[in-house]
Amino acid sequence: MHISDGVLPVSVTIGGYIAGAALAAWSARRTESEELPKVAVVTAAFFVASLIHIPLGPTSAHLLMPGLAGALLGPVAFLAISLGLLLQTLLFQFGGLTALGANALMMGLPAVACGWIFQKFKGKTQVGHAIAGGVTGASGTAMAAIFLALLLATGGEDFFGVAKVALLAHVPVIIVEGVVSAFTIGFLFRVKPALLESSFVRHQKTVND
Amino acid sequence: MIMIRKSLIIVLLSIFLAGMPALLFAQSPQENDRQAVVALLKEQNRQLSGDLRHIRREIAALRAQLEEPGLRDIFAGIGYIFGLFGVAAFVAARRKE
Repeated sequence: MHISDGVLPVSVTIGGYIAGAALAAWSARRTESEELPKVAVVTAAFFVASLIHIPLGPTSAHLLMPGLAGALLGPVAFLAISLGLLLQTLLFQFGGLTALGANALMMGLPAVACGWIFQKFKGKTQVGHAIAGGVTGASGTAMAAIFLALLLATGGEDFFGVAKVALLAHVPVIIVEGVVSAFTIGFLFRVKPALLESSFVRHQKTVND
Repeated sequence: MIMIRKSLIIVLLSIFLAGMPALLFAQSPQENDRQAVVALLKEQNRQLSGDLRHIRREIAALRAQLEEPGLRDIFAGIGYIFGLFGVAAFVAARRKE
């Protein structure tokens, strides 16, 4: 799911860049130096996940992973996704450089929202973590599709039409992503639960203390 | 003298006329040859245009494959990501000191 060059009006492109830069700066400020390796690994995973194509009859779709990145990184996910998208644009010719800001918003905001939802509802058991992970993984992609429709609506497209098409086209991806996220997070909870404490929680702790 | 020339002409004419049917007859195989050549060329043309279509399709497939990111792009990206975060970690570590 990438917006190409020249699809969006200029004002939205510039606005997307400004909002994206502001959010990336906020996201970078929230990054703690001990977290950098984790952020790097999740960024790399996000970057590569877009190459995993799922064949679906005549077409194919690829994994997006905003939900999983958000669940693992929390607010820092926006920075990770922006960087991943920049490199995807430069190296894979996904989307376009001018639409990068809008693309970062489209993928990054759902990721941060997913991180928040995940931290809110993950519970304390492995099953709870896995279910919360699956739900965030699925809803992240769905939210990204809705954001895509919102952004394209500014270019004069019919919002509900695009939203319907984008959601329908991504139904299999949403399902696959939910399953992948659930398994990943269930596994991580068993192996290294500290990875799932993203900085929403840590930041609030320091504030409360 | 005139007689001799006349008879020579007659002889030549008769030889020519005797040769005429042979010449006419000989054209028929030529016609056959021409048709065979045309058929051969048509067959070759068909084969070549088939091959050409095949090659054109292959070029299109190759072009599509070229646009797809290869292993090199993937590793370049991963390297960039780790490198940038390495620099960030370096800066963060220096700031802490």
